[in-house]
Amino acid sequence: MQSDPHPLAETGRTTRNIDPCILVIFGATGDLTGRKLAPALYNLGREGLLPPNFACVGFARRKKSHEQFRQELKADIDSYSRVKPIEEKFWKNFSDHIFYHRSEFDQDEGYESLAQTLKQLDTKFSTRGNRVFYLSVQPKYFPIIIEKLRKHGLLYDPHTVEDRWSRVIIEKPFGHDVASAAQLQKNISQYLDESQIYRIDHYLGKETVQNLLVFRFANSIFESLWNYKHIDHVQITVAEDIGIGSRGHFFEEEGLLRDIVQNHMMQLLSLVAMEPPVNLSAAAIRDEKVKVLESIRPFSKADFEQSIVRGQYGPGFINGEPVVGYRQEKDVSPQSNIETFVALHLFIDNWRWAGIPFYLRGGKRLPKRATEIAITFKDAPGVLFQQNGQRNPPNVLAMRIQPDEGIAMRINCKVPGPSSPIQPVKMDFRYGSYFGQTPPEAYERLIWECILGDSTLFARSDEVAHSWQILTPVLDYWAAHPPKDFPNYASGKWGPKQADEMIARDGRSWRIL
Amino acid sequence: MSIQQIISPDKIESELMKIWEGLAKENKMRASLFNLIIFNRYSERTDYIRNIVQKVIEKFPCRILFISEDPAADHPYLKTAVSVAMPQNSESSIACDNIDIGVGGAFLERVPYVLLPHLLPDLPVTLLWAEDPCKAHPLFQPLSKLAGRIIFDSESADSLLAFSKTVLELREKTQIDIADLNWARTEGWRDLIAFVFDTPERLTELQHLKQLTLTYNARPTEFFCHLKIQSMYLLSWLSDRLNWTCKTANQKLQFQFESFSASIESTEWEKLGPGTIIGARFETKKDSLVDCARIKDRYHYVEIQISSPEKCDLPYQFVLGQTATGQSLVKEICMKGTSDHYIAMLRQLQLLDRNQLC
Repeated sequence: MQSDPHPLAETGRTTRNIDPCILVIFGATGDLTGRKLAPALYNLGREGLLPPNFACVGFARRKKSHEQFRQELKADIDSYSRVKPIEEKFWKNFSDHIFYHRSEFDQDEGYESLAQTLKQLDTKFSTRGNRVFYLSVQPKYFPIIIEKLRKHGLLYDPHTVEDRWSRVIIEKPFGHDVASAAQLQKNISQYLDESQIYRIDHYLGKETVQNLLVFRFANSIFESLWNYKHIDHVQITVAEDIGIGSRGHFFEEEGLLRDIVQNHMMQLLSLVAMEPPVNLSAAAIRDEKVKVLESIRPFSKADFEQSIVRGQYGPGFINGEPVVGYRQEKDVSPQSNIETFVALHLFIDNWRWAGIPFYLRGGKRLPKRATEIAITFKDAPGVLFQQNGQRNPPNVLAMRIQPDEGIAMRINCKVPGPSSPIQPVKMDFRYGSYFGQTPPEAYERLIWECILGDSTLFARSDEVAHSWQILTPVLDYWAAHPPKDFPNYASGKWGPKQADEMIARDGRSWRIL
Repeated sequence: MSIQQIISPDKIESELMKIWEGLAKENKMRASLFNLIIFNRYSERTDYIRNIVQKVIEKFPCRILFISEDPAADHPYLKTAVSVAMPQNSESSIACDNIDIGVGGAFLERVPYVLLPHLLPDLPVTLLWAEDPCKAHPLFQPLSKLAGRIIFDSESADSLLAFSKTVLELREKTQIDIADLNWARTEGWRDLIAFVFDTPERLTELQHLKQLTLTYNARPTEFFCHLKIQSMYLLSWLSDRLNWTCKTANQKLQFQFESFSASIESTEWEKLGPGTIIGARFETKKDSLVDCARIKDRYHYVEIQISSPEKCDLPYQFVLGQTATGQSLVKEICMKGTSDHYIAMLRQLQLLDRNQLC
């Protein structure tokens, strides 16, 4: 009965045992703060999930007053929060906990005064010196900010300081390739222990991604089929119908492989392929994910042409409306060779997945927005129920990550009547129709987990490193062999024909989503 | 809710199907996570219970099987009606089956037979027993056998002491999962106290108390009349968790523990739910004070003021969570198992309430 460490806390029955803290957002005037972070904090606060002793400090280079900053955040919350309109009474109190701090990211005085401000806020809000630093800035600023934070005593050594904590949330991309990721890791690990680093991948904050583990390991019927004996192949799709919007500069430097494949798709892959963890701790889950990444067969020279397809969208139509090609987008070079589509064919060389192909595709300006993991099972043995020599379609388990989150199973079924044709039918579970509540936004969950000190939903350094190790040779090959056919798919199509040819060589086809 | 169709029990499913066909053009989706059986006797509370069930379906769609017994019926009867319950938020496309069973007199024994064919298979069954479980009722056993979880509301109990005995016995005998809405209503305060006294130093202060005062809202309504229960629960929970021993207790709700006194006081706040805890004040022997009090115009906020002869901290606020009607039930619906703290609290209550204070 007294097994809980704190006699007044009951394990598993409360979400409120959360330490007081101050959240400092670097890049507080940026797009991410307005669209995602401010609404996430507001909703966490409104639902009572933030610690009562809480304050938020926006750190940015533009000059503005606390009040201006609050008003801007309020307008953003009004526009982007999943719950509208803003609750005035709540906001009035909540906004008293929000402050603005102007400084350059590399200026010592700015950090000196930040330290003083945080000390005052500690006294005012009893936040006990606990800090979350959210780096919503360009990656080039990560090392300098972390260095300055440490220099000014704002980051504590977790091995020597026990009565308070400091954590740093780092936005993606973490590095540009294997060497830069290693360099970045080296730079920041001089000042931070790995336990203090929270590398955010907002896909991991999505309810359906978290449900992958529950689905696999809380349902015995699937796990026994989850291997090379029963599965024919796996398809992972991350499709977006939008183009690059105002992210021209960013995309010209990154491309789709870095923007989506290296992080989101590799996370989905490792969650779908991992072994059961020994427990649900962050370390145990991340250990298993890393093992998957370690087991991915490195690409050979032949694979660069045969198993990897890159594409770039040209002009076309989305929902019947004409749209421009990538090279006509704002801040994009008219000769750009940056990829906006990638299809990969890879293998995981371990006991469970021996010989089973994984097909990954992701792209911009595809016909629709859809993220899905589809497990295609092997055909039923024998020749029963063949129709005109045709086999029945295989069973498919499709896990829709977004939109219309849910899980669907394709099974074969007899059509009523005497001639007994077989028809595939779909058993469809939809989150939206089953649970009558709006799921929290990914950023809500991730900020909350960080304050709680649970790093399960964040990428560990070795996950990032392994992911780069797999994909950096691809980037190098592409750099040495520029594409000759870009743009090679029209906006509104499912990528270039080479992607279809790649999967067709194995006698398979991409799923129609 | 769609218009209720009174039909004979054998037409329940077919009539529901007809209603759904009619709703097809409104794009409504039929959803159900579990079966929710509600038993109550017709009274002023019936509408209140319907209201909280409505809150449940807004978060967790379920098949509702709502049984209302008319204890004053002068002849036996059994009426069934069906409708489709929809969340009040008109944007939602989700809706749920609602089966009403009205019963009077000797026909009560037929209710399980009417109910059984309409439980959705493979989905959990939760029973909300909205009556006093201490009073023997012919439906309690057959309905509780169907359920994987029983939710009581000690508000409906005439004697808290008898209630706690009955619930403990039931738990011991059947191991069935049990929840209690009054216990759920105190969750915010339990979280708050755990939060305020979260460090070992703070926790030690609770062992050196001079006086503990709890204040509750004594504004009665036709639905709530046992208003002291939530405060008693909170005191009993603290006593159990911190191993306090109660020496004496009197009808004025004054308690003498081994080394300090506690009292439960009342005040009346409009709009705030009856029986709801309003404040908790902890005074230590060293004259430290932790004063937690709801803010009058923002009920689900508590202002916490900590002071000692040496220093006075700035007050801060704790969000108790939404206090809207039905939220306690919504929370209990999604919980699994039985709270160990709840069971231990009920045991402790047998000591605190031995003079039948509630």
